[in-house]
Formats: sequence, C-alpha cells, structure tokens
Amino acid sequence: MEGHQRNLELYDRFNARVAGVSRNDITTLKYWSRDLGLTFPILSNVAGHLGIWFGAQPPGYPMFSRMTVIIDKQGVIRYMHRGSPDYHAILSQLKVLHAEEGVTP
Amino acid sequence: MTRILCASLLLLFLGGCVAPPPVDRLASLRQPDGTLVWQGEYAFVSPGGDWQLITLDEDDYSLAFSKSCDEFFPCQSTLAYAEEPFGYSKDLERRQEEFFKRYLWASRVVFAAPHLEKSTFNGSPALIATIEGVEPVKGQKVWSKVLFGLRGERVVAFHYNQWRPASVPFDLDEVADFDRFVASFRFLKPSFFELL
Repeated sequence: MEGHQRNLELYDRFNARVAGVSRNDITTLKYWSRDLGLTFPILSNVAGHLGIWFGAQPPGYPMFSRMTVIIDKQGVIRYMHRGSPDYHAILSQLKVLHAEEGVTP
Repeated sequence: MTRILCASLLLLFLGGCVAPPPVDRLASLRQPDGTLVWQGEYAFVSPGGDWQLITLDEDDYSLAFSKSCDEFFPCQSTLAYAEEPFGYSKDLERRQEEFFKRYLWASRVVFAAPHLEKSTFNGSPALIATIEGVEPVKGQKVWSKVLFGLRGERVVAFHYNQWRPASVPFDLDEVADFDRFVASFRFLKPSFFELL
C-alpha cells in the first residue's frame, strides 16, 4: 500500500483513483491506514464477496490474496495481477488508458 | 624410468590438489574501466573484499551485497541500493521517519533515534541517517547507515547494516566500503519514472 501512496501523484496525472479492499473490519483498517499514513480509501469487505468476484479469495482462508485490478471508466477490467503490485506495469497501463481517454470523443 | 614415472604421477596428483583460481562472479557485470554495470541502469565500483552480490527475491531493494564471518553469531553485514525505499514522502526528513517504521521490521529491532546529517548525492540534497538498534530477546544489535537521495523527483536510498551479538563491539571500519560504493554510484539513464 505504501507503493500506491508513493504513486498517488502519478495516478492523479493519469486521472486514476486507487482504493484498497480488505476483509478486515473498519476499525482495524482505520488504525492500520493511519499508522501507514495512507490518504486513499481502504474499503472493508468482511463478507468477502469482492474477493470471490475477482478470484482473490482462497477457499477456506480468512483473508484475500494480493491482487491488483485496474478498471476503466466503462467498468471494464483492463488489468489483473496476482501477488505484489508491479508498479511499473500499473503505471504503464494507466498511461495507456489515459491516452485512450484523450482520443475518446 | 620408474622414478620418473612416479615423480610425474606425484606431480599430477599434487597438481590436482592445487586450488582452482577464484571465480569472478561479477565478471559479466565488469567493464573495461573496472566499474560494474547493473541491468544497464547503474554503474558503481564493487565494494570488494569479502562482499558477495546477493540475489534478491523481493522488491524492496534493487541491488545488494552481503558479507559474514564465523567467529560469532550474528556476524553479517549488508549494503544495498534501494530504488523504492520504504515510505512515500519526497521530503527527506519525513521519508527517513517513514523508512525506519519498516526497516528491518521482521527482526523486531528496537531502534534509538537516528543521527541525521545533511549531505549531497547525484547533485541534489541528501540526508544521511545513522542509527543503532537492539533485538533484546535474542541479545543482538545492529548498526545502520542510510543515505536518502534523489533520482529525478523520486527518493532513493543506500543502506548499510551490521549485525553483532550484544556483547561484541561493532566493526565500523567496513563502513568505508559502503561510503566508497555510494560515492562511485551513478545512474546511466533516466529512471522509469522520469520517462513515464
């Protein structure tokens, strides 16, 4: 998450917004987010349906596995990556999407 | 004739005992002027001595060397260049605070307050932090020196740490290896972020 915080300015440049999703409860996330100094939203999804939709919920495991998803303005998933975030790939993809925005009437 | 044959066999036998020449593990990185070039991105002078280039399976560092000894445990030192050090602030003083929240966190080290000193790196302002920490349960201690500098607009860091048992004094002579490594380090091309 620190990496995303580091890149917020670049996400702004590409007109992108970032949000984290976790199965932890709101109170836990509030303190965790404060400790790390995160300024973007961290969403609590205790029921875990978001992880199931995106395939980030290992069966019988109480936490999501790490996954990065980029969704465009039309709601289409344009990028998915399992494991630690690949920030170069994320930023490159956002740059492509931003360029597409520029040519959209 | 038998004597000559025996002497030849003896020589052959002894020849087999001669230690092979040391393998230069950095040969593929070494340039004609002696510097090492890493992935076409960085050039630097090897810290030399017993420092071994180590393979990293994580994103926290870009490049690291390690050395150890068998006299006591722990006896290990690491020097590294981190393209994306812990933390996120561009302000170097704030960044060092964020950095030390997570630095060596898995080792459960309790750090004292760092000593900070302004410096320069890559033609820009830099900040050097020296810090000492203890791991009270295992009776170990660590001494670190970290330089926070800039590559373009992004903060990068060089860090050195030395682990010792609590009862053994630090050997800070090898900090000179770290300082030479940092002083020799240069970027060969603009970073990914500068080109983005």
